[in-house]
Amino acid sequence: MIPFEHRATMIAVRLHELEADLLRQLAEQLIVLLGQRAPAAGDSRDGGSSESTGLDAVSAATLLAQLGIGGATTPPLDPALARLLPDAYRDDRAASSEHRRLTEFGLVDRKIAHAHTVVATLAADQVELDETAAQSWLRTLTDLRLTLAARLHIDDDSTVDDDTGDEAMRDVYDWLGYLQGMLVETIEQIDTDIDEVNHEL
Amino acid sequence: MSIPTLERDAILSVVELPDTAWVTIVWNDPVNLQNYVSHIFRTYFGHPRDEAERLMLLVHNEGKAVVATGGKEAMERHVEAMHEFGLWATLAKDGS
Repeated sequence: MIPFEHRATMIAVRLHELEADLLRQLAEQLIVLLGQRAPAAGDSRDGGSSESTGLDAVSAATLLAQLGIGGATTPPLDPALARLLPDAYRDDRAASSEHRRLTEFGLVDRKIAHAHTVVATLAADQVELDETAAQSWLRTLTDLRLTLAARLHIDDDSTVDDDTGDEAMRDVYDWLGYLQGMLVETIEQIDTDIDEVNHEL
Repeated sequence: MSIPTLERDAILSVVELPDTAWVTIVWNDPVNLQNYVSHIFRTYFGHPRDEAERLMLLVHNEGKAVVATGGKEAMERHVEAMHEFGLWATLAKDGS
């Protein structure tokens, strides 16, 4: 079954009920994981407007930072969170800390908003993605794969094919990779179609 | 008198260039798919398809690639955007 099919710029998602349920649960777990780095718990957004939520998050994070109550200044200890929220400088701890303090809340909030969008879109009987939702799906699928890779100890290209980890988790990791590859291909096809139409005009 | 002129030249020679020479570097990781990385380079940075593909292969084969050059603030925004995409990116002074 091809998971994605596009008509004009809308993408129809065709997942087995069990697959949709698994993806929803993973996205919900990602929200909990990222919530450990969020300014405060207790948000109850619907995930329907990730764009505006993202912008609000940026200004809120900037405001908090200006008030001297910015984000953390050290990378997360959890290797999965550390990979989701990496240092901005390779060999400058002070600069990385300052960058993290000013930007991490905003980044965490946007990542959580993308995952909320995935959960919200999966709730529909006929799952359809517009351009914005598709971009949220791409980012959340990536964050899920990065998280599972950290749990499976996939650290560099040489360990990609090692099957030392949990087999079921490895299957999920591979399935998410398949989904993401297909989604990128579908979005690229939409963009190619648009280019061709523009060229003809 | 030529001495004051020489001194001024000496002073001018140590004036630093404007703070624009920063780079955004994307590092290879074993997780992100090649077509996803190309897609980001094309859609976010606005590179043509073949240039996006070339940069993606550079990251994959050489372990890293400079994907943008400019002022520090712009590079900080790029790095944050790359992190939102899930790519492993850092900024640095050009040549450092």
